[in-house]
Amino acid sequence: MSRTILDLHVLQTVPPSNINRDDTGAPKTAVYGGARRSRVSSQAWKRATRMAFDDLLDAGELGVRTKRVAELLTERIHKIDTSIEEREAWTLAAETVQAATGSKIEVPKRKADAAKKNGQPDPAPESAYLMFLSARQLDALAELAVEGRADIKAFLKDNKKRAKELADTRHSVDIALFGRMVADGADVNVDAAAQVAHAISVHPVENESDYYTAVDDENPDEETGAGMIGTVEFNSATLYRYAALDVDLLSRNLGEGLREDEPVTEPLRRAVEAFVRGFVESLPTGKVNTFGNHTLPDAVIVKLRRTRPVSFVGAFEEPVALGSGHVREASQRLAEYVGEVEAAYGLADDTETWVLRVGPNTVKLADLGTELPLGELVTAVGTATAERSAPTA
Amino acid sequence: MSALMLQLAGPLQAWGSAARFARRTTENAPTKSGVIGLLAAAQGRDRTEDLSDLTALDFGVRIDQPGTRVRDYQTAHHLDTDRSMPVSERFYLADAVFVAAVAGDDALIDRLHDAVRAPVYLPYLGRRSCPPARPIDLGVRAAAGLEDALLAEEWHAAAWYQRKRRTEPTASLTTLVDAAPGDARADSRRDMPLSFDPLHRRYALRGVRIHTVEVANPWARRPAAPDHDPTSLLGGD
Repeated sequence: MSRTILDLHVLQTVPPSNINRDDTGAPKTAVYGGARRSRVSSQAWKRATRMAFDDLLDAGELGVRTKRVAELLTERIHKIDTSIEEREAWTLAAETVQAATGSKIEVPKRKADAAKKNGQPDPAPESAYLMFLSARQLDALAELAVEGRADIKAFLKDNKKRAKELADTRHSVDIALFGRMVADGADVNVDAAAQVAHAISVHPVENESDYYTAVDDENPDEETGAGMIGTVEFNSATLYRYAALDVDLLSRNLGEGLREDEPVTEPLRRAVEAFVRGFVESLPTGKVNTFGNHTLPDAVIVKLRRTRPVSFVGAFEEPVALGSGHVREASQRLAEYVGEVEAAYGLADDTETWVLRVGPNTVKLADLGTELPLGELVTAVGTATAERSAPTA
Repeated sequence: MSALMLQLAGPLQAWGSAARFARRTTENAPTKSGVIGLLAAAQGRDRTEDLSDLTALDFGVRIDQPGTRVRDYQTAHHLDTDRSMPVSERFYLADAVFVAAVAGDDALIDRLHDAVRAPVYLPYLGRRSCPPARPIDLGVRAAAGLEDALLAEEWHAAAWYQRKRRTEPTASLTTLVDAAPGDARADSRRDMPLSFDPLHRRYALRGVRIHTVEVANPWARRPAAPDHDPTSLLGGD
């Protein structure tokens, strides 16, 4: 069986910023190579990537994460049959989702009590956990609910397997990449195909603190002074960002082509392209309006491999020295390290590599692979991945 | 009997043994369940598959570079309402390096070696967001026992860490090795996986013996001059 793994390496400089903070408001850090580094958690960057999908993919390819599955399904039920009254639709939806996922869908006690106190009718039922369902799954479940309208309980008893399958195939791109956890129904969990590492700076970092004052414009008479004062912590960093994608698992999670007339690898190609572009271009939004730290990566390396992913974070275990800009030395280190690791572990021959880079500081990376601007790189990677994963006739 | 040696190094690792709900802690060394899980995933075993052949392997780890603990505070927001969800606390080991070894039947060890070189599920160091910084396999050693294998392995701490300790010709490294059955002096930990079935995860107690081994420090300075007291030649009281 052919095996495909994609790994993605990014060098990105962010000026004074606080894109991911801890509970004290300070930018997150970690120690590596004996030196404190700036850190951006994997969760933060995964969320930013997922948010970027809204612009890169159709709504139908994405999932919704919500407790309000009953209401969501009701909208779809009404699209099929407008005559179904809302309360009946809620019940149909709740029973169907319950059969499909094993999670109870009921009116939260607190909301039920509040409604009773105010003399209002019961609100819509909800799931106890956030459910993550794809648009295609919701459409299919709505159809199932309408089909069993006459006696939903009996109908679902006979069709439980069908309901489960509907919730466990054709996952949305975001679920296929980043996984789903349904706390009650472990059999409809999806193993995430993407693995995202915490981004860390290639150099040592000390958090700094900005003391600010704000003047009260409407208070000219009283004693002069600040209307308010405060501090905000920040740092500047050149980050090494790494993600790996199990293309085979992604392909299984997504299922095959949507329509008869498209290649079976079409959903995979679109998902890989969205992932590469989304990961490269996205930025967690923490304090972005305070610092305006909208940057794009200085360098991107994408690799398609046959056996295992390889992180190059080791190139920066010895921190890049402070004081002379970090991108040039980071690029040089990375270029040397990639060659050494791949030679040492015999990985160079079966790896396809693409490079995107900006400016003379990153010139050392040019020879690692095919150099392309982002749009063409994304297309090239998507096409190559789809070709590798196409069933051989 | 042979031993598969694994190097577990990365900016972050997390080896939980008692983590539940919102507070996810880490032990100070890889757990047996963590490493067995890594091997089972590399082989592509399903979460509900039988693990008894893997859990029967002798297991031990050596702490080559202990690292430091990092506390990560994680918030989540509801995508529809933007309300915040329960905050979770996750602990990581930053900057640590371990050597883990599993020893047993030669054929099984060889199969596991193949699996870590071409893993079915992508490997991670205890938590998915912690990919290894270096390829994890160090190869297979013919070993009389696990402790010998851990003793013979060169020191895998980072160069900067070895240099920092250059005054020490050898490094004392802690090892945590499966205890013999009935060993009354063993520590016990609940990290012996019986099943990774997400509906019914089960762990048994495992006895652990803690030892220290000495390994050469490649960065050590030449040994200092031997004790030399010229006045001793003068004799007398």
